[in-house]
Parts: sequence; structure tokens; C-alpha cells
Amino acid sequence: MADQLYLENIDEFVTDQNKIVTYKWLSYTLGVHVNQAKQMLYDYVERKRKENSGAQLHVTYLVSGSLIQNGHSCHKVAVVREGKLEAVKSKLAVTASIHVYSIQKAMLKDSGPLFNTDYDILKSNLQNCSKFSAIQCAAAVPRAPAESSSSSKKFEQSHLHMSSETQANNELTTNGHGPPASKQVSQQPKGIMGMFASKAAAKTQETNKETKTEAKEVTNASAAGNKAPGKGNMMSNFFGKAAMNKFKVNLDSEQAVKEEKIVEQPTVSVTEPKLATPAGLKKSSKKAEPVKVLQKEKKRGKRVALSDDETKETENMRKKRRRIKLPESDSSEDEVFPDSPGAYEAESPSPPPPPSPPLEPVPKTEPEPPSVKSSSGENKRKRKRVLKSKTYLDGEGCIVTEKVYESESCTDSEEELNMKTSSVHRPPAMTVKKEPREERKGPKKGTAALGKANRQVSITGFFQRK
Amino acid sequence: MFSEQAAQRAHTLLSPPSANNATFARVPVATYTNSSQPFRLGERSFSRQYAHIYATRLIQMRPFLENRAQQHWGSGVGVKKLCELQPEEKCCVVGTLFKAMPLQPSILREVSEEIIPPVSAFQHNLLPQPPRSKYIHPDDELVLEDELQRIKLKGTIDVSKLVTGTVLAVFGSVRDDGKFLVEDYCFADLAPQKPAPPLDTDRFVLLVSGLGLGGGGGESLLGTQLLVDVVTGQLGDEGEQCSAAHVSRVILAGNLLSHSTQSRDSINKAKYLTKKTQAASVEAVKMLDEILLQLSASVPVDVMPGEFDPTNYTLPQQPLHPCMFPLATAYSTLQLVTNPYQATIDGVRFLGTSGQNVSDIFRYSSMEDHLEILEWTLRVRHISPTAPDTLGCYPFYKTDPFIFPECPHVYFCGNTPSFGSKIIRGPEDQTVLLVTVPDFSATQTACLVNLRSLACQPISFSGFGAEDDDLGGLGLGP
Repeated sequence: MADQLYLENIDEFVTDQNKIVTYKWLSYTLGVHVNQAKQMLYDYVERKRKENSGAQLHVTYLVSGSLIQNGHSCHKVAVVREGKLEAVKSKLAVTASIHVYSIQKAMLKDSGPLFNTDYDILKSNLQNCSKFSAIQCAAAVPRAPAESSSSSKKFEQSHLHMSSETQANNELTTNGHGPPASKQVSQQPKGIMGMFASKAAAKTQETNKETKTEAKEVTNASAAGNKAPGKGNMMSNFFGKAAMNKFKVNLDSEQAVKEEKIVEQPTVSVTEPKLATPAGLKKSSKKAEPVKVLQKEKKRGKRVALSDDETKETENMRKKRRRIKLPESDSSEDEVFPDSPGAYEAESPSPPPPPSPPLEPVPKTEPEPPSVKSSSGENKRKRKRVLKSKTYLDGEGCIVTEKVYESESCTDSEEELNMKTSSVHRPPAMTVKKEPREERKGPKKGTAALGKANRQVSITGFFQRK
Repeated sequence: MFSEQAAQRAHTLLSPPSANNATFARVPVATYTNSSQPFRLGERSFSRQYAHIYATRLIQMRPFLENRAQQHWGSGVGVKKLCELQPEEKCCVVGTLFKAMPLQPSILREVSEEIIPPVSAFQHNLLPQPPRSKYIHPDDELVLEDELQRIKLKGTIDVSKLVTGTVLAVFGSVRDDGKFLVEDYCFADLAPQKPAPPLDTDRFVLLVSGLGLGGGGGESLLGTQLLVDVVTGQLGDEGEQCSAAHVSRVILAGNLLSHSTQSRDSINKAKYLTKKTQAASVEAVKMLDEILLQLSASVPVDVMPGEFDPTNYTLPQQPLHPCMFPLATAYSTLQLVTNPYQATIDGVRFLGTSGQNVSDIFRYSSMEDHLEILEWTLRVRHISPTAPDTLGCYPFYKTDPFIFPECPHVYFCGNTPSFGSKIIRGPEDQTVLLVTVPDFSATQTACLVNLRSLACQPISFSGFGAEDDDLGGLGLGP
């Protein structure tokens, strides 16, 4: 009989499986109303006791009622062992309800296991926790996920705007990237990722982003007319790699430019920031004031004291990216980049490799930086093209180091950024280009990592060249 | 009362299963308005000094006090400013109190004496003072300050009971020694109250505070689960479930997390030791999320932050962020609100805090009973007069939002050591139900407020322990 089925079920649970059967547990397991579960338990106890008076059954009851205490009537709800039931009942002035709470084979020392049983079954039924309850609330309708996420986004964005405004207000001494920070904040995608991106943008000065970056992208909004070129050169040399990927939250932002605008340049794929920054550091030390170097080092120190969440997160993200991209980058070697920035810009993700030597002068004259990442498409094709840094004295008397592509085996790629700041038109193009190149960054990073590992020598090589 | 109503239905559960089981619909929300807007802070700037909040407090309270003074001491009494005082002339002065307490912890004193150790061997303030439960001392002095001057008070004024920041009116005269001899004093008393519309059915609001999750106390977890089960209608017989369906709202008044989740390890220990450890509050917040999910699937819930909760420290505390409760925020019945919290539920005005205001006054006043302190704050017409002196507060400058604009019907504070409730009457026939909501993790007691009759009944939960006296646990022992 269907009636008897539940009796057998309970019997099995209690005797065979030695479980603690609480009314809630039974209700969820059998899918019945809580009151029916309580009645089932009671029925089982009665029958079992009738059949076999020596049955090993311990029962706990729930008693509730009112009691006069300290001058006011207090409502008490208690779980009691069977033996104490009568005593408790007699103390209550008004008994509101009594029902079976649980049945178990063994005597319970305290009510801890009851809680655990209830908690466990609840955990597995969290989404419909009031399905078998005696009270249904019409107002408790779960919001649609889109609605809830949009409301949380709104909450975040309002906070972000507030924080970015305050950040912009406090700019002054620290970072000097108020407008770009806010601009980048407003351009955020959504959610926490977006927050990270904006924060990184705002904090380009801190070398927050970590050591394991395989590839970095510098997105520096160039302040075209603002900087004096000479100063700009120094600044740009001083500037490390701040990877600002708006869509992939790969935050490799490094040192910030002191100036307001960040020069947006795609950089050569840098394997490790540590290697990159010393190189950059040394370069900058030639031109920039010692203060800046000091700051860089301070920033590096800051980097170490990073929040773990951020590092973990960024590392994970980077790792994730690496994993995705690595298979792609297997074919390609080290940084192989298109020579001509123009060609680079005009290209779709899989451009034909421009010949290197004739195009070398082109980068020199143009404000450039051909981005490492950007040529991810080409990466796959060109094994022989390597990024090399060429140092020369430009028209203004500043020593400029540029990355040029030469068809060599990739042993000597440096990570110096091209810090020519005159690339006004570059940033918009670069940003546009960046989107399709997102994926390519991965392979770049992969290759860059490999490349860097082999080319440890290049840092000292930098000195000898000077 | 809840119990009586619950006992009215027949007991059906000690019987074989019946085919039909009653399901009750939760009483719908008739009217609800959240009036905590004055306690929400938008962009915050801490560059202002705290003098402005005192200035605006005095300006706002002055008209109320002048009215009361005229009611008490006749309409002819002269209300003067301190600069206009004539010696030996009886008059009334309105100002803010300041209590000079030698035992009040002062960071300046601590720091200065450590750097320059005093020569005298009898200096007693060499070491930072251990936290005491009360900082009052017989040598405390009261000073009355108004906009321009201050004057010491003496006379028939209870120095130990009053605290800094209270605005009051004193009647007396200034003496030759430059002190003001007080003959009588009065407070702003209760604010005007709009009468609550009468209700036809019993509706209850459940007030709970001090859930103390993450505190490691297993006993209180069962109690919390029983509480949730009663409210959501799982526990109890049909009568009790029917009564529970009349609970129209649950207000969690602070300290949802336990004090022990505020581990300061990350500040004191070296970074390499604490780098990978998770904050204790993470697990606790997850547990809280599950509890809130169960509650908000069945009843509208308002969650107020408390002293140990992850929100700002200064009053007014801002609502907890919804991202901490991914499961529960799916339901629109969950509302995260400020501390202090003010709302009109079914026509009854509620105002309450998580208890920081009352416990701070407890520390600096001789009043022992939390209910008495709660009443006193209502009579002084200020939720927390000790802010910003000894209680952290945001530097307001335009208005002081802690002054009662109108009198609530139910005034509660959370995290008190024991339950208490009282109905008080005001001079203009205001009726207020005062409730001190006890700390649930210690007392396993919550409060049920009946909106129709404005009565409050405590409801307590217990399991059974290893010891035999279950009756003792229930409070039923001899």
C-alpha cells in the first residue's frame, strides 16, 4: 500500500541506514509537506512501539508554548528528548504545539547532530527551501538573473563612478592620470572584471601587476600636444609596460607616467615584467632623473606587497589566457612583428608579413611602436623575424631605442618600449586594432615567455652596447 | 499574543498522516515605506571638523528646548545665551553638555606619557588603560556649552547620569565663582507623533539581533535554525504555523557576524603567515547568505548592519553590499538597510539601531538598564548624543540626522544583554513601545512585536544538551 510505503522507508532509514530522521529531512526526501512528515514520523513510532515494545528508538519532540517569566509571557520553542517531554509540557502555561522532531536509533547526547542533519539536507535543497513549508509567501519571487545582475552592475557602477571621481580629485601628486582613469572607468565593460581594469588603469603608477606576465600591453593614451617632446621621451623611457587590456582583464599595468596622459602604445611582447622593467629602468635612468628611477623601484616594492586576490586573480587570468593561447603560439617563435606600423594597423588579424629590412626606416621616422601583440597573426607566420632594439640619436638629441624587426633567430629581443610620444594618431588606431588582437596577445605572451627565458643574456647585453 | 493564538487550533500532528495539510499564505505587505534616507550617505568627505555637527545640533534643538522651558518654568522665563548672563539672575540657558571625565580614554594622554615618561612615580596613566565597562568617576564635571562660551555646572544636576552631547535647558543662575548653579533642568522630551492607523488583524514583526555567525557556538546555530523554521512555517503545529504566517516582516538588527570574525591577525601578524588564510568573516557571510535565503523565500527581511559586520564603522552605518549575498539577493523580499533604520510598516513607525548608541551611553553614564537608556535617548530627543565624542560618527554639517523629527511608535535597539520592553507615554499623549532586543547568540531569544496591540513578546529557542537539566536550559527550572 502506498500508505505503508513511507513506513517502510522510515524503517529503512532509521534501522538499516542508522540515520537521524528529522521531519525536515523526511519532508525533503519523500517530497511531502512538513506537517505530513511529522505525522508520518509519529505514526511510525506508534506502530513500531506497538509491534515491538523493546524497539531501539529514540525520539525527540518539539514543544512550544508560553510561559510566564520575569513578568511577561514568553513564547518558548524547544526540542526535547522524549523523557523530558512531560516535564516540559507541565511547565508551560499554554501549549501551542507538540510534534515529533526526529527519530534515531541511538541516544543523542545533544542536539548538535539534529542541526547537522537539517543543515545538510537544506544545503542540497537551497533553491526550493520553502517548497514543503506550511507558509507560502506571494511576494517572495526570485528575481530574473538578468535583472539582478543589472541591479548589481548599477550598484557597482555608481560606486565606481564615485570612487573614480574621488580618485580624479585626489590626483595631483600621485599618479597624474585623472582623466584617462576616469575615461577608462567609464569605458569599463561590466562587473568586477571591469573594476579591476579600471583600477589598474588608475593605478598605472603602481607596478601592481605581477611578475608572471607573459605579455604585456601598454596602452598609453598619448598626450599628443601636451608633452614637450624631450620630456616626453624621458617620460616614455621611464615608462614601463602597463598592460591595459580593456576587454581581457589582463592587468599588467606597470609604472605610470608622471604626466597626465598615458601614451598608448602596443608593446613588444614582454615575457616577464621583471626583465622588462630592469631594462626599461636602465634605459630610463639614462634620461630620466634619478628620482624617477627611485620611484620605479619603490613601485616595484609596492608590487610585492600586492593584494593576493589581485595577483591570484591576474595570475589566474594570465594563466588562463596562456592556456588558451599556447596551442596557437606553438608554431610561432619569438616576437615576430610587422615592421611597418602602417602595415600593422591596416592589417586584419592575419596580415601578410611585411619584409623587414626595407621597412626598418619606416618605424624610425614614424612614431611607432609596432606592437608585439598586434602582430600575433603574423607571429604564426614569421619565424625568422625577431625584434631587436636599435639605439640611435634622433633629431632632438635624444637617444631613442626602438624595436625593429630583423630577420634573425630570436635571441636578442629586448623589451624596451618605444617611447616616442608623437604617435598621436596611433592610440585610436591601436585601440581599435587591439580588439581583434586580443587573442593574439596570448600567443605573444607564450612566445615571449619562451623567448625571455632563453634570452636572459640580453639584459647585460644592453649595457655592453651602451 | 502569539502563543495564545497559536494554541487555538487543535493539535493535529500527533496522529497518523492526513491527506490534506494546510498551507497558509503569508500576510501580504499592506504598506511599507523605508524612511531611512537621512541615514544614507552618498559621497563622503572626512575633511570637515566635528564642530559643525555640534553647531547644527544646537541650532536644531534650540526651538524645542525653549518651548519645553516655557512649559516647565512659565512663559515668562528668560532664555539667555551664556554671554548675556548677569550674576545672581535667574534665567534659563540652552546648550550642549560636555562631561569632563578623567577616566575617558584619551589617545593623546596615552601617547604623550609613553614618549616622555613622567618623573613622578605616582603617575597612574603610564600604561594604556584596560577597557572598562564604565568610565564614570565621582570627579566628573559637567560643562554647558553654547555657540560662544562654556560654563561649569553645579547644583541639582545628576552628573553621573548625563553624557556629553546632550542638548538641554538649565534653569538657575550664575554665581560669583563663575559656575552656574542649576536649580532645574529639562530635555526636549518626545517629539510629536502621528497616531498609527488601527489594524484589524494581528500582524507581527520579528526583531532579532546578534545572530553571531562564525562565532563557533554550536548551540546558537540550532537556535537560529529553529527561529528560521518557525518563521518560515516549517516548525510547529498548524496553529503555530498559522500565527507565524501573520509575521509580516523580520528585522535583523545588527551583529549578524560574531565578534570573533573580526580577527586582527592580518594587521598584527607578518604577511607571509597570513597570506593564504581566508578571513573568518568569509565563512560566516556564506552561512548568513543561506539563512537569509531561507528567510527571504518566505518573508520580507530587513538586514541592518551592526558593530561587527562588514560595513563602515562610523554611524550611520551603510547597508551591507548585496554582492555578499548572491543567493539571497535573488529575492526582492530581502532589503539591506542602514543602521539606524527607520521605516513605516503597516502604518506603524519603527525606528531602531543595532545597539552601539545605547552601549556607548552605558559606558559613560551611571544608568545600568539598557531599557532605561533607550528611554532616556527618546526623552533627550537624540538617538546617540555621545556621537561624535566617544562613538564614531560621520562629520555632518548641514543637519544632524540623529535628532528625532517625529516620535516613532516602536523604538528598538539590538544586542542588549537581555530582553526588555516597556510602553512609555509622552507629554502630548505619544505612546511608544520600547524594545531592547537581546543578543541571540547568548540568549537565544528574539522579539515578536504585535502591530495591532503594540505589545511585545519574547520568543526563545532551545535544544537539549548533555546535561540533564533541559528545564534549566529553557529557563523553566526552579
